[in-house]
This record gives sequence, structure tokens and C-alpha cells, in this order.
Amino acid sequence: MTLAHARSTSPAPGSGVAAPSHRHGGGLAAGLVVLVGVLAVVAFVSVTLGTRDVGLATIWKAFTDFDPDNTSETVIRELRVPRTLVGLVAGMSLGLAGAILQGVTRNPLADPGIMGINTGASAFIVVSIMVLGVQGLGTYIWFGFLGAAVAIFVVYGVASFGREGATPVKLALAGAAVTAGFYSVTTGVVMTNVDALNELRFWQVGSIAGRYWPVFTQTAPFMAVGVAVALFSGRALNGLSLGDDMAVALGQRIRLTRSIMFVSVAVLAGAATAACGPIVFIGLVVPHVARALCGPDYRWVMVYTALLSPIILLSADIIGRVSAGDGELQVGVVLGVLGAPAFIALVRRRDLAEL
Amino acid sequence: MTHELRAEDLSLGYGPQDVVSHLDVEIPDGKITVIVGANACGKSTLLRGLARLLAPRTGSVILDGKRVQDLRSVEVARVLGLLPQTPVAPDGITVADLVGRGRYPHQSWFRRWSAEDDAAVAAAMESTGTAELADRPLSALSGGQRQRVWVAMALAQDTDLVLLDEPTTYLDINHQVELLDLLTDLNRRHAKTIVLVLHDLNLACRYADHIIAMKAGAIIREGAPIDVIDAAVVTEVFGLPCEVLPDPVSRTPMIVPRGRHHVPVPESV
Amino acid sequence: MATPTLVQDTDVEHAVGTIQRGRVVRKGRVLGVTTALALLAFALFVATMMVGSFPVTPWEVIASTFRLGSDPSVDFVVRDLRLPVATTALAVGLAMGVSGLVFQKLLANPLASPDFVGISSGAGLAAVGSIILLNVSAMFVSVAALGGALVAALLIYLLAWRDGITGYRFILIGIGVSELMVALTGYLIARADIFEAREAMTWLVGSVGNAGPTQLRILLVALAVLLPLTLVLNRHLDVLELGDDAAKALGANVERMRLVLLAVAVVLVALATAAAGPLPFVALIAGPIAVRLIGANGSGLVAAAFVGALIVLVADLVAQHVVPVELPTGVVTGAIGAPYLIWLLATVNREGRGG
Ligand SMILES: Nc1ncnc2c1ncn2[C@@H]1O[C@H](COP(=O)(O)OP(=O)(O)OP(=O)(O)O)[C@@H](O)[C@H]1O
Ligand SMILES: [Mg+2]
Repeated sequence: MTLAHARSTSPAPGSGVAAPSHRHGGGLAAGLVVLVGVLAVVAFVSVTLGTRDVGLATIWKAFTDFDPDNTSETVIRELRVPRTLVGLVAGMSLGLAGAILQGVTRNPLADPGIMGINTGASAFIVVSIMVLGVQGLGTYIWFGFLGAAVAIFVVYGVASFGREGATPVKLALAGAAVTAGFYSVTTGVVMTNVDALNELRFWQVGSIAGRYWPVFTQTAPFMAVGVAVALFSGRALNGLSLGDDMAVALGQRIRLTRSIMFVSVAVLAGAATAACGPIVFIGLVVPHVARALCGPDYRWVMVYTALLSPIILLSADIIGRVSAGDGELQVGVVLGVLGAPAFIALVRRRDLAEL
Repeated sequence: MTHELRAEDLSLGYGPQDVVSHLDVEIPDGKITVIVGANACGKSTLLRGLARLLAPRTGSVILDGKRVQDLRSVEVARVLGLLPQTPVAPDGITVADLVGRGRYPHQSWFRRWSAEDDAAVAAAMESTGTAELADRPLSALSGGQRQRVWVAMALAQDTDLVLLDEPTTYLDINHQVELLDLLTDLNRRHAKTIVLVLHDLNLACRYADHIIAMKAGAIIREGAPIDVIDAAVVTEVFGLPCEVLPDPVSRTPMIVPRGRHHVPVPESV
Repeated sequence: MATPTLVQDTDVEHAVGTIQRGRVVRKGRVLGVTTALALLAFALFVATMMVGSFPVTPWEVIASTFRLGSDPSVDFVVRDLRLPVATTALAVGLAMGVSGLVFQKLLANPLASPDFVGISSGAGLAAVGSIILLNVSAMFVSVAALGGALVAALLIYLLAWRDGITGYRFILIGIGVSELMVALTGYLIARADIFEAREAMTWLVGSVGNAGPTQLRILLVALAVLLPLTLVLNRHLDVLELGDDAAKALGANVERMRLVLLAVAVVLVALATAAAGPLPFVALIAGPIAVRLIGANGSGLVAAAFVGALIVLVADLVAQHVVPVELPTGVVTGAIGAPYLIWLLATVNREGRGG
């Protein structure tokens, strides 16, 4: 018996998962540099663009030599910059939450929006404000986390019902059910109060317009923690993506891993929703774009997603600002309209495989 | 009653490429035909094509002189039954209910459940040994019990031609032999024509009147097992070096694989 | 283990007897449960007309309903005020109950329901659009909702078509289409003035009080035609449940039967939604509850219809008389959804799944 013979049958554990990153590490790193550049450009456009035309000089001056009496400089400093920063961290959070969910549930169609997690957060926030009289973002963000966690628990639990466990279809349906339930309860709660109803309808579409500094400073720390956990979870997700049995066989503690992953999704989605309202599809589409660019290794997918998501969210926000003649389209609407065709195209692909 | 089932110039496939292309095949009437071949060579595809589950890309399937596509689907279903390789059962369905659904082609909107249906279901369940399971939910059965229930459903359809895709999967060796004996009974006593896909070559050779060896969507050899199956054919179809001996029970060919760690022991030892 | 190789005729006769007896028992159970549900639904139907600021006895209700009464004030309260609402509740519940179970069987998923696969949101977008953009009468809003539901269903069907329909693709594409419609609905509501927005949001929650006499009459006629038709088609539904291959092998015209059954279910739910708005969860939970009650003894379509009616009647009773402020019916059915999901979770855990 020769070694050459033996080689042909010996298993190569995890070969398909980890190998490419070593080979193309250089190319992938270069891709990151490009993405950082694109993100910088998009962020810059987001700060510059708006009904009030401001030149480069004004922007520069707003930071180096701020004059509080100059309206243009104030708009930049107090409106556009925080709005852009909120979009940046919220986009990053939603994208990473989606990537984690896709990995943990091995479901190519997982998304914090589709799975009802954002609606859960939003419903808890609305109810806490309306019924419990909670005031201030710093307080109600906790209800956002709680709502997101409850939604994850219910959706994942309900979808696991039945023989095949949590299949993509069941996760999506359970998410839709939870969304419908939260929606009608939320609306029922505010129905009698016209002012609250008025706020709810703007909140429900998801937007980063009118988000000032406090919104950023009170939500960003949470999102930063979530993003950090997400960026370090690539290896764990690679393991989980082989299936529970395989992951256990390879020595992973899947319950612990899954719990940590779900908690970080609750933090990411809860904080992003507290900042912008429920936004769908970012978490769904971006990880797929990332995989198309960098392959299936989650260590790279997470980094690419972290950069691509804010690019897409801010671009959608910019599109919303320039496309509507009077006023603007909320970023949630733009993403819904652009994201749905992407989702449908994904579903129609014949080889839609489990991740 | 005699039936003719054959395919002319039949091409079948799913994606851009054909799985089976320009195939001619005739199923001998009143015989047991077994299709063998490696995984993914197109056995199930051919069976689905013959049972008009897959529309031909070229050519046609002829049943009793007429193109199957031109016949009404229920008419075909009264003559030709098929058990798919991986059938799906609705949640919570009981054994009797599932077997009863095999009677669909014999009913219509004015002709509902009848005594004849009861008799067919009872006979099918009795002969597959599933009568005691009648009121159990399918989900509470073992893999082999479930498989026998599915076979019972195909038999309840009460067709002269029965196509079964790997009916012995999940069955222990005793139940494999029992099921094949049962199919032989049906063949001998009721002159049913039976076509099955089997992976066990020895059982295939023993029970087949006619064997079809497929590779990559084409028929490599066909005929009586004793004439067709030899070491060269098995090696060609499965890529497996082997010895072929006469089966001590039935004198049909018996395949003994070699494998890389086992070479034949010299006779003199 | 009995050797089944040589089957005796006596064995077969014995088995025939067993099977026949089993069928009689099962039919008895189905009949019993269905009759009980029907009686319960009728009792509730009468009960909803008894309570209120002008209490009426059951006999007065029945007498007045069948035009046998003589007291004009009772006649006015019962026939003109309460009967239309109660009949709407009954009819909407029947339609949604059947429709939901047909969807669940057809799409092979206990969570599939017309509420979540885009049909209700199609109705919602069209209704909200007609309220906000066209400012039309309630009758026209219903027509728009009906049109919206049918167009959405057609769109989903066409987008899901790929050498045929699979339940999996239909559901997921329905959810994608639904998200698109929800985004657009949210946009319309956000840009409307507050009164129109309020009207739109009220419609979206759904209430049996919304239906006008014409909508109700159309729904009743449709029920009279489509409910018996569903029962006739049940035979085909039974084989479609076995998967496409087995159904085709049994001689079913799979794509045509699926289309017909889907169309019947869609028309039923579209008319119900046009009359009362998208009452969430009714279509989702009526089927599984009916199946639980009947066990594996029959198809449960009729039972599901009555369970649906019971749910809506109870929800109407609660919404009008039990809670301190009068609520739209949809808020109550939405709240019923929560315990149902938790019950699902509980069953999951009992079966040791869902980790
Ligand atoms: N529904 C399908 N869609 C696309 N491709 C398919 C489908 N079913 C089978 N194929 C492909 O067609 C080829 C033949 O498959 P087929 O099921 O006929 O194989 P088989 O001989 O029955 O194999 P096995 O012994 O594993 O059952 C395979 O390459 C398979 O991947
Ligand atoms: Mg096969």
C-alpha cells in the first residue's frame, strides 16, 4: 500500500472553510482598504449633501474653527455629522447581526428585520414609553435589548418546533408572526393617543433623519461592544456552519456559543433599532455580498460585512435624500424597496444552499 | 392483462444538462425488472421519466401504444404506480389514512370511498405486515416500518405496473427479503409488472428476471442477470474490482467485492 | 413478527373489518367535534348580540334575527346594530379559518398563513393607498383591499414559478413581497396628514365593525360557493400533501390543483380582509387548533372554519365589552397570537427539541 493511495481517501477536516483565506489573504486585505476608502467617500457625501448647500471650506471650518452663529456650520456639526455617524454604527450593527444570525441558524435568509427582532425591540420601546412612562433613550434602549431578546427567543423556539428543526422557511414565518403580533399590540396601545400615534408612524418606517448627538453617544457604546464580539466570532461561526453534530464532534460548546451569539444579536439589533427604528434587509443582503467578495470564511465575512453595511445604509439614506422632490424618503423605505427584489432574487436562485 | 411500457429516444434532465439522453428502453411485461447503478447515475430520473413525473426533453414514453403525455394522468395512475425515493408524509397522519390515499386515482368527485377501496387498503396493509400499525401516527414508526407503509400505499393503488425507487432502504435483511418475496408473489400470482431500483447487487440478481445496469445516464447492459452480470460489468458500472461467484442458494451471480485491503486468497491455501 | 408472505383471505377480511371500524370511529369523532364547534360558534354568535348597553335575551335575539320579533326597539338594536357586526365576525372567521388551513396544507408548513405570505400586506398597501392618496369611501377601500390582495397573490405566484411552484419558494417570496409592501405602506402613512394616518393605521389593525352591508353580502355569497367547493377539492389537497412526486404518480394534476386551491384560499381571505381588515393570527391558529381537536381523524377543514369563527367572535366580544376602552378586533386577535406562540414553545420543549 502506497501513501499516494491512502491520500485519496483521507478526510481533510475543515479544508473548504479555512484554506482560501490563507491563499488569498493579500487580496482580501487589499479589498478591505478599498472598502474603507469607499466608506469614507460615502460618509463624506452624506455630510455634504442636503437641502442646504455647503462647501468644503465650511465643513472644514465647522470642525477646526466652529462658529456657533453660522447656521451652515451648525447644520454640519449638529445635524449631518451625528446623522452620518448614527447611520454608520447602525448599519454596521444590523449587517453584523444578520451575518451572525445566518451563521448560527445556518439560514441564508436570516435577518434581524425578517426574523422580527427589530420589531420586537421597537414594540418594547414603544410600550415602555407609552405604558410605563419611560423617558430618555438611555433608559428605553434597555427595553430595546429586552424586546430583541424576547423576539429571538420566541422566533427561534417556535421555528425549532417540528421534525426538521429551525429551517429557513419556519424562521421566516415565525419572524413574520412575531412581527404581526407586536405590530398589532403596539398599534393597539397607541391607538387612543393621537400624539403617540403620530410619533409611532414616523418611528415605524426606520430613519436616521433628525438623529442628534445624544442618539449617537447613547447607543454607540453598546453597538461598539456588539461589533467587537461579532468581529471575533468568525471562528465560532465557521464551526457552527458545519452543523450542530459536526460542531460538537469538533469540540465546540455549541449551546454556549449560540447563547453568546444571540445575546450579541440582541444588543446589536436592539441598539440599532433604538437609534433608527426598525430597518429590514441590511442584515440579509450585505453578508451575501460579503461572501461573494471574500468567500465563505466567516472571519473575513464579518470584517467585510462590517464595512459594507454602513456603505449600503448611508447610500440608501443619500438616495432617499435626493430622490424625493419634497421632503425625503426614509432610509427604511429605500431599503425595503431595494432590498425586496434582492431577497426575491436570492430565493429564486436554484442552488440556495444552507450555510 | 398485458401491458407495454417503453421509452423511445428519451432525454430527461433538470438543469442545462441532460441526466438521461436519447435512451431507448423496454420494460418486459409481467417480469421483475431491477435497475442498478452507482449513485447519481440517473436511476431515479429514469423511473420518474417512465412514470411521467418528469417531462421528456426529447422522445417519449409509450404506455400500451400511446404516449404517456397524451393520456389523462388518472388513467395512467390506474395502470402505473410509483413509489418515489423520498416521499413526504403530512404531519400527524396515521398509517391507515396514508395507505388510503393510494386510492386517489380510483375515486372521483362523485365516486367517494367504497368497499373496494377498503379491500385494497386492507390487502396492501396485510401483505406488507402493517395492518397492526393501522391507527398509529406515521411519525411514531421506525424507519423500516415507515418504508413498509409507503410500499403499502403504492400497492393500495392496485396497478398492474408498479415502479419502486429503492423500496428496501432502511429495511433490515429479513424485511428486505420479505419485501422482495412479496413483490415476487405479486408478480407471479397477479401478473404484475414490477420495476425497482436496488443497491444490493446480490438481491438484485436473485430477484430480477431482467436487470438494467446504468452508468452516467446510459444503459450499459441489460438482460437476465445470469447473462449480464459478470466481474467486468460490475467493475465498469461501479468502478469496483470484484469476483462473481454463483449464489449458493439461487445459482444467480453473487458479487464479492475486493477493496484495497483485501486481495483474493490463493486457492491452494 | 407475522410473516406476511402468504396472505390468507381471512386475514384480509379481518383487516377490512378493522379498517372499516376504524373509519367509522374516526368519522364519528370528526362529526362530534365539528358539531360541538358549530354549536359553540352559534352560541357565541347569539351571545355577542345580547350584551351591550341595551341587554337582550337570547330568545329575543333569535326571534328578531329570523324576523319573528314584535318589539321594534329590540329589532332595531339586534337587526340594525348588532347583527351586521356579529355576522361579519362569523363570516370573516369562517373564511379565514378555512383559508389558513388550506394554505398550511398546500404549502406543507404549519406556520404558513395568508397573513404572512404577502396577501394581507397587499390588501393593506392598497387600502392605505386608497385612504391616503384617493380619499375614498369605505366601500372603495374594500374594493382596493380586495384588488391589492389578489394582485399580491398573483405577483407572488408568478415570482415563485420556476418549473412549477414549491411551498418553500412561495412562502419566502411572499415574505419578500410583504416586506416591500410594508415599507411602502409605512412611507404612505408617514407622509399623510395625521387624520388620514390614523384612519389608515386603524384599518391595518382590522375590525369587524368596518364592514359595510355590501362587503358583507359579497363575503356571504363567496362563502356559500367556496366553502362547499373546498370540501369537494379536499380529496386533491390530501394527495398534494404527499409531495409532488407521489401526487403525480397517483394521477393528480398537481400544478392545476395547487393553483385552484390557492385561488380559492386567496379569494376567501381577500374578501374577509376587504370586509374587516387583516385580523392577524386568525388564519394562522384556526387550522392547528382544529387539527389538534380532531386528531389524525380527518381533514378538519370544516372544524377549522368554525374555530376561526369562534376566535373572531370571542375577539369581538372581548374588544367591545371586556376591556375598558373599545378596541379594534385585530388588537385582540394579535394578542391571542402571543399565547399561541408560547404554547408552541411549550410543546417544543416537552418534545425535547428547540435547544
Ligand atoms: N430535482 C433535481 N434537481 C436538479 N438535479 C437533480 C434533481 N434530482 C436529481 N438531480 C441530478 O440528476 C442526477 C441523477 O440523479 P438521480 O436521482 O437520477 O440519481 P440516482 O441514480 O437515483 O442516484 P441514487 O442512487 O443516489 O438515488 C444527479 O447528478 C443529481 O444531482
Ligand atoms: Mg435515486
